[in-house]
Amino acid sequence: MTDSAPLDRETTARQGPPLEPWEVFRQEKEGDAMRHGGSVMAPDAVLAVHYARELYGRRQESVRLWVVRRADIHDLADPDLLQPPLDRSFKKPGGYVMRDKLAAARKQSRQRTPKAPAT
Amino acid sequence: MTTTRTALAAAVPDDLREAVDGLLLSMADDEFVIGFSDSEWTGIAPILEEDVAMSSLAQDELGHASALYELLAALRDGPGVDADAIAYDREPHEYRHARLLDHGRGDWAMTIARRYLYDTADGVRLEALASSSIAPLRELVDKIRREERYHLMHATAWLQRLAERSGEPRDRLVAAIEELGPDAGTVFTPLAGESGLVEGGALAEPMEALESRWRARITPDFVRLGLPMPPATVDPGNGRSLHGDQFRWLWTEFTSVRRQEPAATW
Repeated sequence: MTDSAPLDRETTARQGPPLEPWEVFRQEKEGDAMRHGGSVMAPDAVLAVHYARELYGRRQESVRLWVVRRADIHDLADPDLLQPPLDRSFKKPGGYVMRDKLAAARKQSRQRTPKAPAT
Repeated sequence: MTTTRTALAAAVPDDLREAVDGLLLSMADDEFVIGFSDSEWTGIAPILEEDVAMSSLAQDELGHASALYELLAALRDGPGVDADAIAYDREPHEYRHARLLDHGRGDWAMTIARRYLYDTADGVRLEALASSSIAPLRELVDKIRREERYHLMHATAWLQRLAERSGEPRDRLVAAIEELGPDAGTVFTPLAGESGLVEGGALAEPMEALESRWRARITPDFVRLGLPMPPATVDPGNGRSLHGDQFRWLWTEFTSVRRQEPAATW
């Protein structure tokens, strides 16, 4: 829960295996996506699951929990890889964003096209 | 409330009333005392997560105590009889919890040893009530057992961690088990009218048989972890009476607010 526990807790916990963060994912009801709930500090998987149960499940707010050691998560947050500076909108399922281009084309064509002959 | 009272009154034959009263009181007092005692870890447990876990376990036990006192109040069904009055308005010598729970929470090893010994014993006792002829008790026991499963997982996880870590953790655990051992079996102190409970189908087996079951149940853990098995119970006849000074202290704590204003409505 916190990396800066009071000194007496640290002194007590110092003897055992080191505490490390575990990420907790929870499902609110059957069929829902697993969503990140938060994290717990624990020395091993068994206690991490116990603590996850206490912090994210004891009020019947979850039907399933996943507990993952934070160190086992591979992190990618590089803007060059995730938010490239050039227009890559053609890679979106909807293809190019055409709205602006269409509007410009229409405007131009209105200017060029002579008035329709009166009938 | 009325429904419970009627249902319970109908479920308990007159000749079993006293024995069922004693059974409910012993179970409720056990849960109340260990729940209150473990709640003392709130704010001072070794790590925040364990603080929350132990506090939550303690709350569960107080919840079980409350439900059992409610049943008892329904059984006694008299003016001024309610769960709070039974829980708080008695003198220390009138409490019927097992002497095992007169040992204070001590250090973390003591708390874990006490929890493990009590939870395993309570588990065997609850099992013996799972098919009880007293329907309201059977239904409550069914719910309690589902929560106790987790309590036992928690206690066992910690027992193992302390036992397997040589040096201070293991030394403290062994010392705690040696101190608690002679009183561990007091959870199975024979009840007045016990044979009637067994014959009437309220309780599956006599306490003595349940104690053997419990010893067999914990033996694999104790052997695997190389821990000293609890010896035969000392002064088994008084296993739920003659509470010492440590309980008087705890009693003073948990009744302190109640005694400030006895007639108050909360």
